[in-house]
Amino acid sequence: MDFWFSYVALASIYVLLGLSTNLLVGIAGIFSVSQAAVFGVGAYIVAYFLMNDITSFLPALAVAAVCCIALNIVVTLPALRVSGDYFVVTSFGIQLLATAVFTNWTDGTGGANGLPGIPSADLAGKALESTGAMVALSLCGMAVGCLIFWLVMRAPFGRLLRAIREDELAVAAAGKSVLRAKVSASALAGAFAGTAGGLYATFLSFIDPSSFDLDASILLLTMVVVGGARTLAGSIVGPFLLLALPQILTMVDIPTTIAAAARQLLYGVLLIVFMLFRPQGLAGEKL
Amino acid sequence: MLALQLLVNGIVTGCALGLVAISFSFVYATIRIFHVAHAGVYTTGGYIAWWLVAKGVPFPAALVVAIAACAGFGALIQAWLYAELERRKATHLVVLIASLGALAVIQNIIAALFSANILRFDLPWASRVFHLGEQLRLTAAQLITVAVSLAAYGGTMWFSRGTILGKQIRAVASNPFLGEITRLRPRRVHVYVMAIASALVCLPGVLVPLDLGLQPYSGVTPLLTATIAMIAGGVGSLTGAFVLAIAIAELQNLSLLVMPGEWSIGITFFIFVIFMLFRPTGLFAAAR
Repeated sequence: MDFWFSYVALASIYVLLGLSTNLLVGIAGIFSVSQAAVFGVGAYIVAYFLMNDITSFLPALAVAAVCCIALNIVVTLPALRVSGDYFVVTSFGIQLLATAVFTNWTDGTGGANGLPGIPSADLAGKALESTGAMVALSLCGMAVGCLIFWLVMRAPFGRLLRAIREDELAVAAAGKSVLRAKVSASALAGAFAGTAGGLYATFLSFIDPSSFDLDASILLLTMVVVGGARTLAGSIVGPFLLLALPQILTMVDIPTTIAAAARQLLYGVLLIVFMLFRPQGLAGEKL
Repeated sequence: MLALQLLVNGIVTGCALGLVAISFSFVYATIRIFHVAHAGVYTTGGYIAWWLVAKGVPFPAALVVAIAACAGFGALIQAWLYAELERRKATHLVVLIASLGALAVIQNIIAALFSANILRFDLPWASRVFHLGEQLRLTAAQLITVAVSLAAYGGTMWFSRGTILGKQIRAVASNPFLGEITRLRPRRVHVYVMAIASALVCLPGVLVPLDLGLQPYSGVTPLLTATIAMIAGGVGSLTGAFVLAIAIAELQNLSLLVMPGEWSIGITFFIFVIFMLFRPTGLFAAAR
């Protein structure tokens, strides 16, 4: 039962991350391999606030979300002014830099050993210590995220983003600011990733740099690609499917020393196969 | 004296990085693919050479075999992956994701076969130390790296300007459509370009590990630094990419005087941001 609880809670946290990646990659058309870094920043901020008893859970989550919004704006603005390809470099750079900070800034992040003993989340002064309450909180987070995503995509802003994916030049010619729309999408993606980070830190009560490295970013990208770009359904299907996959892998008899490599290998194969034969993913639209 | 030693070390790593940068630039300027999997080819070359040396093959032979294998591997990536994606009219983003997928596949196959631990070449001569002047010391591997890199840079410049294939490649790069109607066969030229670039990136891929050892996931940082050098030098300028690679490596090495080495990625990235803000076209960009 505990296994199912933690699967559902983690999957709903990853749905938030999937929405975040989908906003960037699927909808705004920006290639990103740094979503795990933003996710990590959110997680570490919430962990710091709760462990030092600075605020309760919700204000900490809000601070994390705001910081991640600011981070994403700072990151995307200069790169997107120049050319889309330059953002690839920015994105890799942010990811490697974040891993360096998480691993080496021992005072703030606990270094490679991570931060153990993060207090559980609390709502209105009551600590949510049972797993069931945490699952409910994660599901609520996911529901709110999905609702926001759905509303945004229905709004004129969502139509603008779709139009940009179809034809950037036409949108610019119609007098809309492509850059502003892309940066706004990226800011929203930052808010989702920061919130997901906070939920993740409090749910596991332990974080370390390996959850927020390049491999984690590739996993997020695989989730969006497999689930399907640009749709709400795709962002939900992908995480639930890909988090179940390692469980299936454990049934196949592979030595534990290469298990991690085998899992990442599978993600790589999925990326290539889907890009070649079904770029729209299982439940998405044209990428 | 430490500063001088760091300066010399910077030239060594800079030359190796320069080769990564010009090979990446070659692909990027011609095929217009942001070839992330290049980092995987770089790592593959090192592992092939290591495996052959461990089997008792002499180092020069191992290097030649590794270069040939990388060239073939690059050609396969182009023919089976990128050309196939182009045929399906994949967008730029789709190609990028597929390239990242290929990188993940290559790195993790290597990690599964050779484990993720650091492997060192069992070649005593490579770590023999030469003394230059008072306190400067260089290993044989470092001297070879500089000599081979400069030779390969010169060779690439000559190839690009002086041979028919080099001219065809530049023609296709400047206008693929015109290349098609004048029967230059851009698709075949693209396969050649990828083979040449992969052979070229195999050199630092083998020579750098002579000194520092091999790790499956170590290709991403050099590739990132090299792409920054390419952008800062001006896309399409091989000399710009090579010179800026040396400059960035120098800055990284000299930064060791004031801060620990874990943060050198920060220095690299800082350079990139500065260039993006003040001179996004790069230093040596050709007039357009």
